[in-house]
Amino acid sequence: MKKNKYLLLASSLGVFVLLAVAAVQENFLKDWRKIQATAKTEEGPVAVQLRQVINRGLNLSDRCTSCHVSMGPGEQNAAGPGVLTAHKPVVHDPAEYGCTVCHGGQGHATEKDDAHGDVHFWPEPMIPVRLSYAGCGTCHIALNAPGRDGFRRARGAYERLDCAACHSMDGRGGLLRPDGGGMEGGDLSRTGISGYDREWYGKHLRQSQQAARGPWKTSFAPITQADLELLATFLDTRVGAPKLVEAKSVFLSSGCLGCHKTGAIGGDDGPELSLAGLKDPALMDFTHVPGKESVENWFTEHFRSPSGTVTGSLMPALHVPPEEMELLNFYLFSLRRRDVPVSFAPKDRVRALQFGEREFATDGATIYGAFCSGCHGADGKGFRSPGMPAFPSISNPDLLELVSDEFLIETIRKGRPGRRMPGWDRDGGLRQPEILAVVGYLRQMSGVQARPQPAPTQALPGASAAGSRIYASACAGCHGPKGEGAAGPSLNNKVFLSIATNAFLMETIGRGRRGTTMEGFRTPSPARQALSDNEIASVVSFIRSWEGSKP
Amino acid sequence: MNPATTNTAMQEFWQNLRAAPRRIYETAFRSGKPVTDRTRSSFVFGNLFLHLHSVRTHLWSLRWSTTMGLGIASTAAFLITLVTGILLMFYYKPYPDVAYDSIKDIHFVVPTGRFMRNIHRWAANVMVVTVILHMARAFYTAAYRRPREFNWLIGLGLLITTLGLSFTGYLLPWDQLAYWAITIGANIAQSPREVTDAVGITEYFDPGGLQRLLLLGSDEVGSESLIRFYLLHVMILPLVLAALMGVHFWRIRKDGGLAKPEDADARLSGRERDTYPVFTEQPAKTYQLAAIVRGKTEVVNRGPENTVPSMPHLFYAELAVLMLTMLVCLALALVSDAPLKDIANPNIPENPAKAPWYFLGLQELVSFSAFMGGIGIPTIVIIGLGLIPYLDRERTGTGVWFGGPGGWKLVRQAVAYGLGACLAVEALVIRFGWLREWFPNVPQLIVTLINPATLITLLYGAYSVWLVKRYQSARAGALGLFTCFLCGFLVLTIIGTWFRGPNWVFYWSPSDWPRH
Repeated sequence: MKKNKYLLLASSLGVFVLLAVAAVQENFLKDWRKIQATAKTEEGPVAVQLRQVINRGLNLSDRCTSCHVSMGPGEQNAAGPGVLTAHKPVVHDPAEYGCTVCHGGQGHATEKDDAHGDVHFWPEPMIPVRLSYAGCGTCHIALNAPGRDGFRRARGAYERLDCAACHSMDGRGGLLRPDGGGMEGGDLSRTGISGYDREWYGKHLRQSQQAARGPWKTSFAPITQADLELLATFLDTRVGAPKLVEAKSVFLSSGCLGCHKTGAIGGDDGPELSLAGLKDPALMDFTHVPGKESVENWFTEHFRSPSGTVTGSLMPALHVPPEEMELLNFYLFSLRRRDVPVSFAPKDRVRALQFGEREFATDGATIYGAFCSGCHGADGKGFRSPGMPAFPSISNPDLLELVSDEFLIETIRKGRPGRRMPGWDRDGGLRQPEILAVVGYLRQMSGVQARPQPAPTQALPGASAAGSRIYASACAGCHGPKGEGAAGPSLNNKVFLSIATNAFLMETIGRGRRGTTMEGFRTPSPARQALSDNEIASVVSFIRSWEGSKP
Repeated sequence: MNPATTNTAMQEFWQNLRAAPRRIYETAFRSGKPVTDRTRSSFVFGNLFLHLHSVRTHLWSLRWSTTMGLGIASTAAFLITLVTGILLMFYYKPYPDVAYDSIKDIHFVVPTGRFMRNIHRWAANVMVVTVILHMARAFYTAAYRRPREFNWLIGLGLLITTLGLSFTGYLLPWDQLAYWAITIGANIAQSPREVTDAVGITEYFDPGGLQRLLLLGSDEVGSESLIRFYLLHVMILPLVLAALMGVHFWRIRKDGGLAKPEDADARLSGRERDTYPVFTEQPAKTYQLAAIVRGKTEVVNRGPENTVPSMPHLFYAELAVLMLTMLVCLALALVSDAPLKDIANPNIPENPAKAPWYFLGLQELVSFSAFMGGIGIPTIVIIGLGLIPYLDRERTGTGVWFGGPGGWKLVRQAVAYGLGACLAVEALVIRFGWLREWFPNVPQLIVTLINPATLITLLYGAYSVWLVKRYQSARAGALGLFTCFLCGFLVLTIIGTWFRGPNWVFYWSPSDWPRH
């Protein structure tokens, strides 16, 4: 019976040892304890304890400050190793707003991997530090953002006119220069939010004229009207998150909204992107993604090869330089809008969500870039992507000369049902002035105005065997035997047939479309004879015969 | 009052005050130090918590091979979950989403919270394992026989309550694992619909839907389900378990301690013992309350020979098992964290969604037929288990491992047959499919009746009947059947745990799972 006695002794000692191990782990081996032990302030070492930022309005309690001590309330002067570095000055003090609201990650956690979200079962890892400003998207919506080129022109004007000589913006500029030029002007980092004096130019000019010497004389000169407009555009985008606005401008030039929605605006073909920044890496397929299994890498690879990462994806690959790829990534990470209490909703968000203001600038170039360029190309020339029907060129001078603005407006409004071109006159689509702006932009980009066509001289004959025969031999190869479209566009589309005039069809067949495989049939080619106007008319009437039948 | 008296009274007061600690001890432990037989006895029966024990314990019961301490280990695991569970209740909030946050708080912020939760989780798993093993021990030593028949049924109730406790605890973290495991569980509860649907009477008579509704409290796993599971987990089921445990232990005592072979004393004789005879002659009467109780109790006409005082011999053994169980739970808790996946999300089903491991054997059967796997076969098994002591009324082999006709040889064969039959049927189904794949239009009722689950059950049953005939013994049949079902449970659980991937398809390894 002694055996049991010793077994009891041994097992009790074992339990005691394990409890001791647990106690040591709990009280000495926690990372945050070790870090806090190294922290020093002017008053001496800090108390070693769990720290957290609580914000009841945002419903968060972030324990990040257990390690990042100096980012906590009232602890800004704790010094020590890198992890203790204070947060750089930002509008939203982390001691008040917490950390996860901007950076993501797991605020509840008190261990590095868990807190940074690099664990399997935390759906929202931290936004990579490089892309930190994407976190603004949690609450903010940058309004009236222009497309990439417009944005670059506007920024270029600001740089070229050397406003930074006197004014600081996002931590740059506004310093007196060695040659005596420059002086301290107001900070322009947040003019898009706080607004600015719209009469500034007149005031500047007067100051400059009155000054005898000094910076007002040497650093300021009259500005052209065009440049003033560019400056206004630029100042409107200043919301304290410069990289976010730049990223958005790239996004708005990549045509993503043609198929994807953000903020309930955009096409329906692709998935909604409004919460793309909250994607859970555990639910993503990394089979074909090289490198680390991060959301960032997945996005990058998806842009490069959409169908390689998502089987059956109908998205054309993006051919953009790496720095733009990063900006697109940045923008996607910013798509992470959270519910916040009304008292925390920023003005821009209220304006966008409650008052229906647009997130993007509503000039033709921006809208074209955001909604059309994905398929029709930045230059409107369309392109071919392997495995997909051709995306038609819409800046072709032959087309733009033949079609009226009404044709373009109706096409944009109604789209081509059954094809990838969606109709934009709907909820989540474009408003009438915006569609007009796009048409205007098309005309301006190509420099071709519509030339009114005389009504065809021939009355159209009825459906005839001749039309059908000619169509089968000359047209069906590209447009399909029933006009359903193949290499060439679909011709039996009801909306198309209802918009296209006979004159348009006759002239297009007769003249062809330069720069595409569509040849003019009035001129002979080595392969076939020219068609007479009568023959063309019979083809048109054959095409018209689809109007009443299936779409 | 004269000064002398005052003086004495004061002296007495001081004396009493100084004696108070000693007196408190003496009045608490009235029998004094347990050093003699008398004080050792009163140490046991004079203590509320110990008096369920007999004052003397038979040496046979103290042998490790008799019980392997499994019953005490189950009790110990229960006590550990009880203590850690109460601690967890201080922080846990049973409301969706808030529940998840509170588990995160327990994990990250509450001092020793993570450790306590790990211990709770591991002790719960240890409890399920030890309860099943304890049942196997009781079966293989034929300890369920007269007069312990009903205690076997109580034990069965304890097994079911234990599984219920474990299952209700599963939902509480409110993560994906919990949510979808409970969804699976609720669907199993709904499985009688398979039959009522096939017959076309679900509209009028829907026991499956009712069961699911009772379990979840609503159509979906939601806040109603959570509060329901919480209440069951922290109050109702623990009370049921405690009550059943009380009866279970009390009956052991009333049934004359643990089951022993008839010749236990003879088997023990000849071995060196640190016991000594209490009586020099065979006693002629009982030393229990038999004088006023009618009938014959188990200890009548038996002397306390071959017994040792429970204090300290039995208590050393019991405490050793308790501490060993604690050791195992602590060690597991230190090396392995209790799982916590993403917060429950009804829109993103886990694939595969798996029930807790001890139900994965059932889930495997459910994949063949929801009704048979979820209701039919478990009912048959539970009824079968309950009937064992009433069908096997033989006497040979009681108290001996694998006692009875056939013995260890029969059990070995049954292991081979049980594993073989189950693996063969599984292999057939995994390789070639079943009726639904062969004849897509076969009526559901046929599949419900004829499927791998019923086939395995049938094979086991036939084998058992053959054993009864072969050995002319119900015990032999029971030995075979019980062994077969244990093997089937093992095989199915292993397949369900490690070899089933998305859509419950067979995979050799999770690394072969398709990615989305």
